[in-house]
Amino acid sequence: MAPPNRSARVAVLGSSLQRSKPNPSPSKQRSAMVRRAVLAILVVVALGLLTISFRSPTSGVLHDAQGYGASALRPFQVAAERVARPFRDAYGYVSSLTTAKSELKKYKQMARDYRAEALRNAAAVQQNGELQKLMNFESGPRYPQDYRAVNTAVVSFPSGPFAQQLEIDAGRNQGLRYNTPVVSADGLVGRVTQLAPNTSVVTLLTDPESAVPARDLKTKVSGLIRHGQGGTLTLDRVPKTAIVNKGDWIVTRGTIERRYPDEYPYGIPIGRVISVGTSDIASFLTVQVQPLAQLGSLDAVAALIPTKRARSHP
Amino acid sequence: MTIADGLKAAALLFVAAIIQVSIFTQVDILHGVPQLVLVALVAVSLLRGAVAGATAGFFAGLVVDTATLGTLGMTSLVLTVSGYCIGRYGETTGRDRAHAPFLSVAVVTVLYSFGVLLVHFMLGERAPAGDVARSVLPTMVLNLILTAPAYALVRRLLRPRERADYATEVQLLG
Repeated sequence: MAPPNRSARVAVLGSSLQRSKPNPSPSKQRSAMVRRAVLAILVVVALGLLTISFRSPTSGVLHDAQGYGASALRPFQVAAERVARPFRDAYGYVSSLTTAKSELKKYKQMARDYRAEALRNAAAVQQNGELQKLMNFESGPRYPQDYRAVNTAVVSFPSGPFAQQLEIDAGRNQGLRYNTPVVSADGLVGRVTQLAPNTSVVTLLTDPESAVPARDLKTKVSGLIRHGQGGTLTLDRVPKTAIVNKGDWIVTRGTIERRYPDEYPYGIPIGRVISVGTSDIASFLTVQVQPLAQLGSLDAVAALIPTKRARSHP
Repeated sequence: MTIADGLKAAALLFVAAIIQVSIFTQVDILHGVPQLVLVALVAVSLLRGAVAGATAGFFAGLVVDTATLGTLGMTSLVLTVSGYCIGRYGETTGRDRAHAPFLSVAVVTVLYSFGVLLVHFMLGERAPAGDVARSVLPTMVLNLILTAPAYALVRRLLRPRERADYATEVQLLG
């Protein structure tokens, strides 16, 4: 008999009766099975897509389907981008106001320097043209006169630590090909690495896989432009004996060997040297270059399509 | 989940994916990028369960990969698993908890970031763990800021399920 202060509930919980193991009903078992089956199927399909896409990233039925899918999604992306643009512009305007005064002074000085340099360059270009005619100098395609620019909008931007790429609103139908150089008004941006009928993906200069043969415009020193720290670039493979000065302009080197034609024509501006360093144990100079193109905030770019068949440099 | 609910969820995730690839990828605050598609997926998964979460994650990932011409299946794989896990949490422990969306978003942000890192690593691609670790916290904060409005909107579109609709593997005594 239970004591008077003990409730019936406590009596039940406190009893030593052995409970049978609860058996889930068949409907619950089925529900759990369906749930796991759905997950398994989706994971397998995703892995299948991943495998096919990874093995043939630039061709195949899946790649074509993805290209058409991207073209179908493009109007939505453009619409979203247009909706966001006023807000982005407003933010950019307010943000630029805070630095406008200090930058004005700097740019005025730079404008004076460039004006003097432009006059010297104009004279040199005229003399160069005359000398080339006299020597019957043969050369490969020259930038920009031997290239047609396909101007296009940027529809997707680089994001996160994995993607040093951007998507542009032009593709195979507009004449773009794999490795087509892409520039902005300021300088080199990168090259086309993924191609769809009406869109393509541009791998930026700051991508770890990117390597662009380049040269110092003033000292003629050649090297390889690779990604650097904090959104900068590095002019790699420059011997310690070579001379590179802070403030020098770096441009694409172009083809110098007929057997190994370069994807980029000579003379596309890449950036400006911001520091030059060396150490006793390093084999090469450490040349840090600030890219001219604002790779993080591009609205529009131009893809360079050669207008004549490429010839190699002599 | 009814067909109408499915269509609403699909439309919602489609819009979230488009906004993600077109607008939010430009927002970079202290290395953090808000992930609207992840927040929307968490909301759908919490409100509609594991199966809907996994399916929604798969299709949201497919849209993202297609729109960015990325490796197909990569985002789908990670979002499918994320949607399933959050859906299970919503069906069991997290049901009726006010903090469930915020906790889910915080956890899934970390899982998603390192999940993508793991897939990149296994494919032999560049996997910058340091950069990912640096970006996780600001991304989580940005996602948490998005959670309240996004969850409220999704909750308005997809009415919360009745108690009887939930999975009942966890039996209550008494």
